[in-house]
Amino acid sequence: MKIKEGFELQNVCGEYIIVPTGIENVDYSKIISLNETAAYLWEGCCTLDSFSIDTMVELLTREYEVDEKTAREDCEKIFACWVEMGLAEE
Amino acid sequence: MEIEKRQIKVNNHVFMQEVVRRFRQEGRKSVTFTVYGISMHPFLGSGRDKVVLVPPAEPGVGQVVLAEVLPQRYALHRIIKIEGNVITMRGDGNPLKMVEQFTADKLVGTAEAFIRKGRYVSTNSKLWRCYSAVWQACNPVRRWLLAFYRRIILKIF
Repeated sequence: MKIKEGFELQNVCGEYIIVPTGIENVDYSKIISLNETAAYLWEGCCTLDSFSIDTMVELLTREYEVDEKTAREDCEKIFACWVEMGLAEE
Repeated sequence: MEIEKRQIKVNNHVFMQEVVRRFRQEGRKSVTFTVYGISMHPFLGSGRDKVVLVPPAEPGVGQVVLAEVLPQRYALHRIIKIEGNVITMRGDGNPLKMVEQFTADKLVGTAEAFIRKGRYVSTNSKLWRCYSAVWQACNPVRRWLLAFYRRIILKIF
């Protein structure tokens, strides 16, 4: 699993947003925003060439007080969201 | 965690600084965002339509530009006059006497196109030029047209 190239996480006006890089237009009417936890996971995953759900679970449990089962469910859900939105791939 | 659609409203001044940063530091050619307010009626609907803004070019009468008209106060209106270095603009949906004046250094960007009801309308298009000419010609009766538009058309559609 990996995050696709061409996206950058930025904090704009207190919101974590994913901005496509390398294109000429920034469309603020269709921006993808992440909450703080998702942004943390995104940053962690971005630094890796490839990662697994286990990696995400480890990242999440290292920083947040959450049991492994819940963390795994959440990581699977968010990764599925990223794939659905074209931000990541299996 | 689920995908949820929502609107993020941000402070205008902070957002404009963000737009300027995209142009100047990242070298982006345009930014697109949704417009709010009734000052560009009847063409632009608040929260419905969008503007495609490009970095400021040489200002010209008839252009729609976004400028800081008072400290940290911004407007996207049409230039109606340029005298020396003073630019005067007015919202299509504003009373004739309600104008803003500023200098070119206050320009944030120029409207290259609008997305009205989902349709892309370039400011170079015949449709836009035609609308602009007709609307300017209607200046003497603008008050009544706007009142009709806001009280009748907007309520029905």
